[in-house]
Amino acid sequence: MGSDTGAFRATTRVRRTPTSDLSVAAAAALRRVGLSPVGFVMGSAVMQLASTITGNVYGGTAMGGGIGWGGLLSSARASGSYVESYPCAHFGFVVNAEHYGFNAENTVLAASLFEGYRLALSRIQDEAVGLGAHGVVGVKLSFEHMVGAAGTATFLATGTAVLHRGSSPLASPFLTNASGQNFERLIGLGYVAAGLAVGVGVVYVQPNCLARGDLTAVGPNPQIPAAVGVARGRARQWLASTAHSMGEGVVHTEWSDRRFVRYGESWNQLALAVGTAVRRYKTEVEPLMPRAIVPLRP
Amino acid sequence: MTRAKGPGTATGVSSIPEIGVALEALRAPFHPGGQTAFLSDLTVGELILLEEIGYRPIEIVSGAGSASWCPQFTTAGTEAKMWGRAIASAIAEARAGIASEVSQRGADGVVAMRLELEREPANQLTCTMLGTAVRGEEGGGHTGPAARGPFTTTLSAREFHVLTRAGYRAAGIVLGVSVVGFSARSASQSLGLVRDNVELEGQTTALYSAREEAMGMMEREAVSLGADGVVAVELSERPVNTMLTHAVELMAIGTAVRRGPRGHESLDPQLQLALDDPAAEVFTSG
Repeated sequence: MGSDTGAFRATTRVRRTPTSDLSVAAAAALRRVGLSPVGFVMGSAVMQLASTITGNVYGGTAMGGGIGWGGLLSSARASGSYVESYPCAHFGFVVNAEHYGFNAENTVLAASLFEGYRLALSRIQDEAVGLGAHGVVGVKLSFEHMVGAAGTATFLATGTAVLHRGSSPLASPFLTNASGQNFERLIGLGYVAAGLAVGVGVVYVQPNCLARGDLTAVGPNPQIPAAVGVARGRARQWLASTAHSMGEGVVHTEWSDRRFVRYGESWNQLALAVGTAVRRYKTEVEPLMPRAIVPLRP
Repeated sequence: MTRAKGPGTATGVSSIPEIGVALEALRAPFHPGGQTAFLSDLTVGELILLEEIGYRPIEIVSGAGSASWCPQFTTAGTEAKMWGRAIASAIAEARAGIASEVSQRGADGVVAMRLELEREPANQLTCTMLGTAVRGEEGGGHTGPAARGPFTTTLSAREFHVLTRAGYRAAGIVLGVSVVGFSARSASQSLGLVRDNVELEGQTTALYSAREEAMGMMEREAVSLGADGVVAVELSERPVNTMLTHAVELMAIGTAVRRGPRGHESLDPQLQLALDDPAAEVFTSG
């Protein structure tokens, strides 16, 4: 994820005993692979997210084919990213700009979220480097809003740094969201975790009458599926491009879709994806075909 | 990749002392080689389950559909066809969307899918699907049913593994939706003044006819896919009883399956007694 960790410098803790947030089974699995825990590590960044809405979203001239919806729409148009307008389905009966709708890709929010993730991940990696570790397993990556502080987000990555005694340190230790057990299976399959790949996609949705479920205009609406599709497509693109330089595949993608920061009836349709990029280290592997069993219940 | 086929030849992941080799592979910068890269939301366990039956992940694919309806004045005798059609079209559109993403990538189908239904507002349904597109190995006997286009399934990777090993093929997601209206309760019943315990026959009947219609629609879809049956049907029922709306919604979603060329193949499961004390929670879903 790069080594630029911003202006912030973490205080270095003096460590005397190895700490970890591994379960007993996860620790045992890593021990079987030959890795031992060297310390609980964390990377965090608290961010004020860049504002995307300058004043009223209806700012400018609201009429006339959805042109001039204010800051977000014009900036999306200017940057050539996804914008689509959804005219009122009551056309001819109701003349009211309220029923207009549009989708516009919110590249500013997406970039802010991506930067928060990037900082948290590069800081957890720095802590692992400081411990001379080869990697961090079981990375949990989350973001949350600070209560009472609108427009802020806390990005937090935690995990356990692990070490293989007998190998010299890696310049950039691997990060993975896979558990110890899954890491063991991955090694058995001939792959090694190379790093975390992140994807973010955001589409701002101002629903038209169809998309908001107006009782006088019903039927299939194309606006919500389009917003979900574009947000997911963008997240998938970023996931692929961040993984591209790390390995030939991505597994364990934790995918979440949510509606984020509503302004009245509108929302930001978010797609977030965090997965482990994997690199093949050997091509001849034993079959792992699982055996079917019927457990006897007491 | 060389890989000997055959179940049960290895009991676990015992041949592991490769960690030094694996870490060595991380020292050199990675040179993206070309077209073998894949994106998946599979866990490592799911990846193993699929690779062992000859399926390789290609990319994460998604589909979405949304529709709204007007529920007002639905009561006994009104068919609520538009309502049922709106729900069916939202799900069908998501299914068509994910299937077209699968075929764009030249994959055979999509597994380990997340299917989410969101109602917001109450007279609108948004269905989203997200899963991993997979391709079967040529000549391995596991290639997807390419004759009828890519398959979709609501089955998890674990269920899909068992289904395939048992000699069946997923044919596609099938769905049935029905909304049937019923008459309002009497004024005294609504107010809670009636002392008799009586069946609301209209409502019971409506639920049965909704079941018949929804299952019928699902079966017709399965027949049109040339399937031998439907597995893992999820049935959800939702009565709506407000001032102007008296109806029951019924939704059935399952996976249509076809028997493979060799018919059913026994997995020959072995009985296993865990010696943990107390007994381990071995039945949690995978």
